[in-house]
Amino acid sequence: MSEPATLTLAEARARLQRRELSPAELLDSCRARIERWQKRTNAFISTEMRFPGADTGALAGIPLAHKDMFYRAGKVSNCGSKIRKGWVAPQTAAVIERLDAAGALDIGALNMAEFAYGPTGHNDHWGDCCNPWNPDYITGGSSSGSGAAVAARLVFGALGSDTGGSVRLPASACGVTGLKTTWSRVPLGGAMPLSHSLDTIGPLARSAEDCALLFSTIAATRVDLSPRPMKVVTSSGWIERNAHAEVATAVLGARKVFTEAKEIEPPEFDLLSAHCLTVMQSEASAQHAQWMRTRSQDYSSAVRVRLEAGFAIPAAQYLEVLRLRSIWLEQWKKALGDADAYLCPAIAVPIPTREETGVHGGPETARRLADVTRLTRWVNYLGVPSLVLPCGFDSRGLPIGMQLVGRPFGEEALLAAGHAYQRETDWHARMPKE
Amino acid sequence: MKNLTGETIETMLAAQGVPLAAGRGERLAVGVNALNVVDRLREKLPFETDPATYLAVLKK
Repeated sequence: MSEPATLTLAEARARLQRRELSPAELLDSCRARIERWQKRTNAFISTEMRFPGADTGALAGIPLAHKDMFYRAGKVSNCGSKIRKGWVAPQTAAVIERLDAAGALDIGALNMAEFAYGPTGHNDHWGDCCNPWNPDYITGGSSSGSGAAVAARLVFGALGSDTGGSVRLPASACGVTGLKTTWSRVPLGGAMPLSHSLDTIGPLARSAEDCALLFSTIAATRVDLSPRPMKVVTSSGWIERNAHAEVATAVLGARKVFTEAKEIEPPEFDLLSAHCLTVMQSEASAQHAQWMRTRSQDYSSAVRVRLEAGFAIPAAQYLEVLRLRSIWLEQWKKALGDADAYLCPAIAVPIPTREETGVHGGPETARRLADVTRLTRWVNYLGVPSLVLPCGFDSRGLPIGMQLVGRPFGEEALLAAGHAYQRETDWHARMPKE
Repeated sequence: MKNLTGETIETMLAAQGVPLAAGRGERLAVGVNALNVVDRLREKLPFETDPATYLAVLKK
């Protein structure tokens, strides 16, 4: 039998239930892979066992690990930072309590961007997280360790947070499936805040079916993945004009799997992204105001610049953008019509290298970062769910991800569509070579 | 709408007690001004709408 750690979560769960595998064998297999992959990816910050799992529950015996910002009482959460290095959490995050109750193991803390405020996976304090498909390239962020650990089959799933794309960018760049949930759908208590109007929590896993198992636990809901007619809408002309040719071909090729694919005018990606940034920067700077006054030298330069910017946004501008949010959401619902999802790339450009997007990236760095995040932030401003799935590989052998953006609380439809797509394709089943 | 200058931004941060390296305001101004975009829906925004209206629309 191949390594147990390379099964999907759903397969591992079925084998545990049939007693063809033991929880100890699964854990040993994950730990053996962590041993081999950690040096190359730097996905883990700590491999201390945080919770040993339970014998019963929907996720009994399944090894998971999470972004180092989901608090567990009495355990360290560094939040990817120098400022919170060694900080011991006084409470356990609501989502972690739900996963514990479902019997999942929590086998370590995963790397992340400093305070979840960066889209690439760079980290000056804990070391960059590296893409398992090629360590020269970014993992995407801020849930960088979550993307890398799931892609390299070190754990069966991981939680991430998504404020401007932080679940979907690493899912896309690392070739795994990631769900950005509807704002307010999953409880945020005990998770490190960045921007309270935009923050969401969601799973990264090896398939839509695996994401459904994790989502149903953290959202305390049931998810039905049974086949159904799936209608999508897309803007193929815009995608062909604005996305890299390899990305456009891979994403638009997915249309044939769905029952119906209609064309609509593209959403105002750039305008809505600007609104997202107005909210994110204002709220993040307010969140960090005390440390920015007293410890600004302890932030990396990239994060400090983002935080400084938020102090220069007028309060009236911030609040007007929040007032506008409801009518933009109405417009979105109207545009979607009776479709289940809007299909577009997660990242429209080829994944850049860590060097191109780091402190030595030169004058083009800001543009490269804007290109990477162009198609994710608008979704956070609307607050709607989005599922990212691998849909191909570029000529360099790096994953391409597509995005299915839904209506509020439409996670089940997205997961069912993703599951249907993954029954017809095998992109999600491909693994990076050791 | 007028753009914020680097000097204005330096004053805004100083007023809030946030230290800023000399000349950094100029660099921040580019990004901050880029967020002040023209939105055609601004003119259609009902007077009674507040940020909490969003939650009602989300759940509708």
